[in-house]
Amino acid sequence: MLGIGGAIEAGVFVMLGYAVGLAGTALVVALILCGVINFFTMCSYAELGAAIPKAGGEYTFAKVAYGGFVSFLTGWFEWISNMFYAALSSVGFAYIISYLIPVNVPLTAILTIIVFTAINIRGVEEVGRSQVLMVGTLLIILIAFVLNGLAIPNTGAFQLSSPGGPLGVIQATAYIFVVYLGAEAIAVAQAEVKNPSKTIPRAILLSAIVLLVIYPLIAYAMFRIVPPEVISGQSSPLIYVAQLSMGDLGKVALVIAGTIAALSSVNTSIMAQSRVAYALSRDGYFPKALLRIHHKFSTPHVAVVVGAVFTAVLAATGVINFVGYATDFGFIIGFALVNLSLMKLRKDKPLLDRPFKTPFYPFTPIAGIVTSLFLLVFIDVGVLSLGIVLGVLSVLAYYIRMVGYLRFRVAFGGISLGLGSFTAILAYLIGTNTMPLNGVSPAVITIIFFFLLVVSIIQIIAGFLNVTAKGSAL
Amino acid sequence: MSIRGKFSLVAGLAQTVIGANAIVFAYLLYHNFLGIQAMLNVTAKDVVLYMLILIVFGLLSLISGLFLINEK
Repeated sequence: MLGIGGAIEAGVFVMLGYAVGLAGTALVVALILCGVINFFTMCSYAELGAAIPKAGGEYTFAKVAYGGFVSFLTGWFEWISNMFYAALSSVGFAYIISYLIPVNVPLTAILTIIVFTAINIRGVEEVGRSQVLMVGTLLIILIAFVLNGLAIPNTGAFQLSSPGGPLGVIQATAYIFVVYLGAEAIAVAQAEVKNPSKTIPRAILLSAIVLLVIYPLIAYAMFRIVPPEVISGQSSPLIYVAQLSMGDLGKVALVIAGTIAALSSVNTSIMAQSRVAYALSRDGYFPKALLRIHHKFSTPHVAVVVGAVFTAVLAATGVINFVGYATDFGFIIGFALVNLSLMKLRKDKPLLDRPFKTPFYPFTPIAGIVTSLFLLVFIDVGVLSLGIVLGVLSVLAYYIRMVGYLRFRVAFGGISLGLGSFTAILAYLIGTNTMPLNGVSPAVITIIFFFLLVVSIIQIIAGFLNVTAKGSAL
Repeated sequence: MSIRGKFSLVAGLAQTVIGANAIVFAYLLYHNFLGIQAMLNVTAKDVVLYMLILIVFGLLSLISGLFLINEK
């Protein structure tokens, strides 16, 4: 239930409109593709989750398989992705609820995160019981939606076609991939799962199969009722279609389903990010403060709160598409690293007890790596650049720990001196019109010149102070 | 706090602000906020390159500035 609850998320309620604009009715195909790509990697999660029953999920797998920087990189992206996922779900929840009552989307998203932070501090077991009931209700409503769509005589609206052709289908696959994410959170929380060697693979694979069946059916049922041109303009296509075909009752039911999906995902991802942060802290990569356990609820409350603060900042943007792509990016990198970990462990530790084995090895993990990385090509350029930034930050965080604070600081002093010198040269070239800025007004050129001059002075001073820091050779 | 400490704090804060602003500016440029691309005569083709330069510059400044702010 944790996996299905985490995976059926707000995205399916609020992201389908844009995806339909890309792929038309072939969104059904895109959803099947996503499900298959997801299934490849879920097999790896199932095998590793059962073989390595420790908290931390992907990070722990990579740590056992590779150790060092690869495990840190995996944990880093896992931590960040879960925060993006929580932000996406909370923003999605705000959009869904706005169908019933007018709300401020960013504010509602932030309040949602605050509430679920408090719930997670109380403990996963506490919410685990209510989550079973919530996800059961969600599944019943979605199945009713599908059955309603299938029961309606086909009006001729559904014909498999994509306005963007095969490229549109692939773009939609990359965009909508996020709706399948969440089931892997089971592996992260496995320290709190009974009999993990049997329960973990079953739960992960069952979640992946349920999603692979239900999502394409939802899209198919939707297209039987309303043509794609109408759906693509909706902020929440499912709720819109439910209202058209089932009246206000359908609308309210789908808002309830969307609310449950979004809140389950917020809960699952906040829990997952905190457990990863805890594991990274346990190994010395993150500050020791994140290791603190709540005296009453026995949860890593500091890790929960720190992640929630970052999540709230992300949620404050209120931009679904950007956060959705960013979540995709982080998880895709994580998926590739999990598949690599599986292959490394199969080679290095053939005698490791594996209650579940990935079928068709090594083709399944290779297919998982190739197909998921292929989706990266179609991700928004802005998100890709953000991904590069996050990658650079991970390298810095790792080497600060490995190389030592002072040497790193001196190195940054040198970089600042270089940046300052470069900016000063740039200011000189622009100021003397040696490097003309064609089409830019003289007033803007003057502003740029003085701005660059100030920046260069600050960079040089800062560089000098860092290079001559106490304890350095200078 | 020593004079050097105060000086480091001010320089660190200034550098951190510059770094953060460079990153924010990169995203404003990408989303063409208030027609900034036309104002600076940046073509859509070159936006990604400018973004990359600004983000790398911003990150390096941000980290260097944080080192100075946290100087003991």
